[in-house]
Amino acid sequence: MLRATLKGMAARKARLILTSLAVVLGSAFIASALVLTASIRATVADLSGDAYRGADVLVQPLEPENRGDRLVRDGVTAETLAAIESSEDVAEVSTTVSWMVNALGEDGKIVGGFAPTLSVNWGDASVERELREGRAPETDREVAVSAQFVTESGLGLGDTVTAYALDTDETAYEIVGVYGYSGGRDSLSGATELAFTTPEAQRLVFGGEDAYTAVAVTAASGVSADDLLASLEPAVGDEAQAITRQAYVDDLNAESAEATKLIGYFLLGFGLIAVFVSVFLIANTFSIVIAGRLKEIAMMRAIGAGRGQITRSVLAEAGLLGAVASVVGAGIGVAAGAGLTSVVANGFLDTASTSVAIPWTAPLAAVAVGVGVTVLSALVPAVRASKTPPVEAMRAAAKADKPILGVTVTGLLVTLLGATGIVLGLNETFDGDNMNLMSAAVGAGVVFVGVALLTAWLSKPVVALLGAVWSWSFAGRLGRLNAARNPRRTAVTAAALMIGVTLVTATATLLTSVKESLAAQFESSIQAELFITGPVTSSVPATFDPELMDDVRAVDGVDTAVELYYDVAQVDGTEQSVNATTDLEGGIALFGGEVVEGTVENLAEGQTVVNESSADLLGAGLGDTVAMTFSRGTESREFTIVGILADNADTDGWYVDRSYATEFYTPKPTTALVDVADGADVEEVTADVEAVLADEPAVSVQNHEEYLAQVTVFFDYAIIAIQLLLALAMIVAVIGVVNTLVLSVLERTRELGMLRAMGMTRGQTTRMVTVESVTIALFGALLGVGTGLLLGWIVQQALAPSGIEEFAVPTALIAAYLGAAVLVGLLAAIAPAVRASKVDILGAISYE
Amino acid sequence: MPLANPPAPQITRTRSAVTASNVWRAYGSGEAQVVALRDVSVQFASGAFTAIMGPSGSGKSTLMHCLAGLDTTDRGTVHIGDTALTGLGDKALTKLRRDKIGFIFQQFNLLPTLTAEENILLPASIAGVKADPEWVARIIATLDLSERLTHKPTELSGGQQQRVACARALATRPEVVFADEPTGNLDTRSSGEVLRFLRRSVDDFGQTIVMVTHDPGAAAYADRVVFLADGQIVEDLHRPTADSVIDTMRGFENRVPLAGEAR
Repeated sequence: MLRATLKGMAARKARLILTSLAVVLGSAFIASALVLTASIRATVADLSGDAYRGADVLVQPLEPENRGDRLVRDGVTAETLAAIESSEDVAEVSTTVSWMVNALGEDGKIVGGFAPTLSVNWGDASVERELREGRAPETDREVAVSAQFVTESGLGLGDTVTAYALDTDETAYEIVGVYGYSGGRDSLSGATELAFTTPEAQRLVFGGEDAYTAVAVTAASGVSADDLLASLEPAVGDEAQAITRQAYVDDLNAESAEATKLIGYFLLGFGLIAVFVSVFLIANTFSIVIAGRLKEIAMMRAIGAGRGQITRSVLAEAGLLGAVASVVGAGIGVAAGAGLTSVVANGFLDTASTSVAIPWTAPLAAVAVGVGVTVLSALVPAVRASKTPPVEAMRAAAKADKPILGVTVTGLLVTLLGATGIVLGLNETFDGDNMNLMSAAVGAGVVFVGVALLTAWLSKPVVALLGAVWSWSFAGRLGRLNAARNPRRTAVTAAALMIGVTLVTATATLLTSVKESLAAQFESSIQAELFITGPVTSSVPATFDPELMDDVRAVDGVDTAVELYYDVAQVDGTEQSVNATTDLEGGIALFGGEVVEGTVENLAEGQTVVNESSADLLGAGLGDTVAMTFSRGTESREFTIVGILADNADTDGWYVDRSYATEFYTPKPTTALVDVADGADVEEVTADVEAVLADEPAVSVQNHEEYLAQVTVFFDYAIIAIQLLLALAMIVAVIGVVNTLVLSVLERTRELGMLRAMGMTRGQTTRMVTVESVTIALFGALLGVGTGLLLGWIVQQALAPSGIEEFAVPTALIAAYLGAAVLVGLLAAIAPAVRASKVDILGAISYE
Repeated sequence: MPLANPPAPQITRTRSAVTASNVWRAYGSGEAQVVALRDVSVQFASGAFTAIMGPSGSGKSTLMHCLAGLDTTDRGTVHIGDTALTGLGDKALTKLRRDKIGFIFQQFNLLPTLTAEENILLPASIAGVKADPEWVARIIATLDLSERLTHKPTELSGGQQQRVACARALATRPEVVFADEPTGNLDTRSSGEVLRFLRRSVDDFGQTIVMVTHDPGAAAYADRVVFLADGQIVEDLHRPTADSVIDTMRGFENRVPLAGEAR
């Protein structure tokens, strides 16, 4: 029997290759995800290994308790440095002064996006900086900049650059040098850098204090890192902390491992979706292949092969195919993962060299998943094949389609079951039960399967409807009829495309709904017309001079203008948002806030106002006292709650008097709201306010639309990210459609020969196949859009109590998905259509 | 005795619908080369029903394929009406088949997605022209298919399917209809229906039909039977009966004893 299987496989190479493509793709995704994750981790580890290369021990400032790395005010002092240098075990010491800074580019805007802009001291020997042009900075008004800075700022050698830290004034520097890093890199992990003299760097970071953000110490020969650490302990004392470089690098690696774990899950998720889709493809291809072999199978049964033997023979074929395909897939995947590593590394980490790590689990998992999925997918077709009665061998080919009623009823029930699961799950989720979240996720998966089962039933009417578009052309009409010819096959092919489109539609719908809900809330509550604020992506929070507010208030047509100071402070030992303002009552009104208890007028020292749920969190109420320590604060202060606000996303948090802002991380205001008087020309007022703020490059004046676009920019990025998912699903779907079409063309060779004999031109044949392809693809996309909208709507409804009240349909995106589906159909049709148009007429119509 | 007659002179009194002159056709090369047609010259009169007979491998199918523009000739020329097929490209051949030739196949070859009526109108649809409705109605009536027009091929019997195929072949009034073993898959009754229709379409409508068959009973419906063996025309029988066809076959089986086994 195995011999027969092998010979049979050898005789059908083309079909085998088509079937295996899906398996190859699925296992390649798994392998590449694992290799990419491991390689990124290895590459990041190399990067961490670059840090303080050559040093044995690092001395760093103590981290301010519970304030994370938000601010380093206390550096390693000059005294500590002197004590370290005087140790006999020390061979070399290099000092680092590095923190975030704002620099203005050629266009007057702050340089940098998500990667930070750093000020560093040129003298720091722990980083290998290589001058490319000019020279090192020698005076306090000179600066050398990284090549990445040149690229992003548009400035170059000889230009003047303006830079400032949070609490320093804008200062102009002459660019005297441009540098890169070891290995010809333009940046370290994409950050832009400005290298100053050490005193200037200290002025920007520590306000002029002779202190350092890190001291890297190299041990004298014969002294181990641990010995050096022990001998430095007394010198470092309680003012700073010492750690071996190895421990420091290990910590960095542990941190990056955490971060890359997420990337890994994300990539594996992609891989699993590809595998899920390929289950459809494999099952479909096997069904078609077996349908084409019914006579052969019946003949085997007639000459005495048992049902078990037939099943085993098909499964053996699947197993063999899965093994070969997944080994190929694993190979491709490992290579792709390795290749992608350098793309990712160059694109996001900006490393010159990448390390490729191939964990043994990568090929193993790929092959295991590939073989497993192939055999599982072939199970249903195999069992169906074994049920072939021997008499089929004698019957003529033409047969009516099997009824699809059973599948349809099952599909309907499964869809309803899944939808119920989602609704039940989401209704309970916000009581904090994870089991229910699982129920919602499983429900979504079940809806997929249900709709996939329903596709066969849906294919007739939907395909007929789609086909109306082509009915002007006879070839188009034949193509449409062909698409509707085998509802099961069309359904499974379309389902493969549906999955991807459903995922992206559901996510895009949900994100758009969240965005629209936020916008609607914003529009209904915010009273101010204009906002003064900076971009959300700048390294250092954008601030402006509070003195200017008086000028803003003086602008003709401005009713009220309220500036806000922002800090994350310790309130009774927990991290909380704290705001300060000169005019709390006005600010609350402009934000559409509501006072529940007490008062918000004229906050005095030691008084605070808070929203209900933030107060509840600490178990505090009106008249109670809380302790606050601000970011730059050296001591804890007592505040009495004098007012309670209703919960409102725009006014939540604690409020204190403006005088405390000096202890905030950003002592200058970060935002201001401007209420334009009724009847005043908003555009005119905007121009006037802009004129007042002309010398404040960090902030701009924005109207509602611009402000909303800025605060919801994250959602736009998220929506772009999920389009990648679509691209992946589309690639898999193209293969699925190609598969179905090629097999259909093979099956219909005789028919095509007849049509060509009767005078159908090659062009007409091509058109016929193309229409079939596009119809199937559009059908899949429409199903996906429908299911995606349904899932999105269910989730939005469930989230409505949490404030996601608007249901928004991302029409432009959906149109793009449908457009992409047409493209998929056109691409997939190319090879099968050419094949169909070149069919050998004589061979096709001659009877055997 | 027909056998005693010398080969009939070429029919010249009517116009010839299909003409083959000195046609050679070989497949493969070297040792494996099989010569399917050796210097075949034959004319098929317009408005006549001609059968081509011969044992398996005699070249009768190849001859039909070359006549119908489905296969190319190595040497010699083929004309459909006044059009020479030799040297025509795929496009021109396709157009010629579409406009001037009708086909009836052994396996019916109806499109399963179309109804009987749509199948009948298929050649016209492919050409993008409208079939003459009166003519089509007449054929449908003659073939007794009026009740079956909305049925799909899977809902029709073999005989009904082949009658639909006949209607399809005639719907565009082609210059010539080629029928390749049209009764090969049919029972005796259905065969009779199909053959009587082909006969009638020649007598009543003046259709030209060339039919390949190995059934002497089917050949008896024709006006003339051309016998092929080993790629050559060996007999040309006019006004055949089933008996005269069988006698002829026996006759040349005796003369060319191994022709029947030739592959």
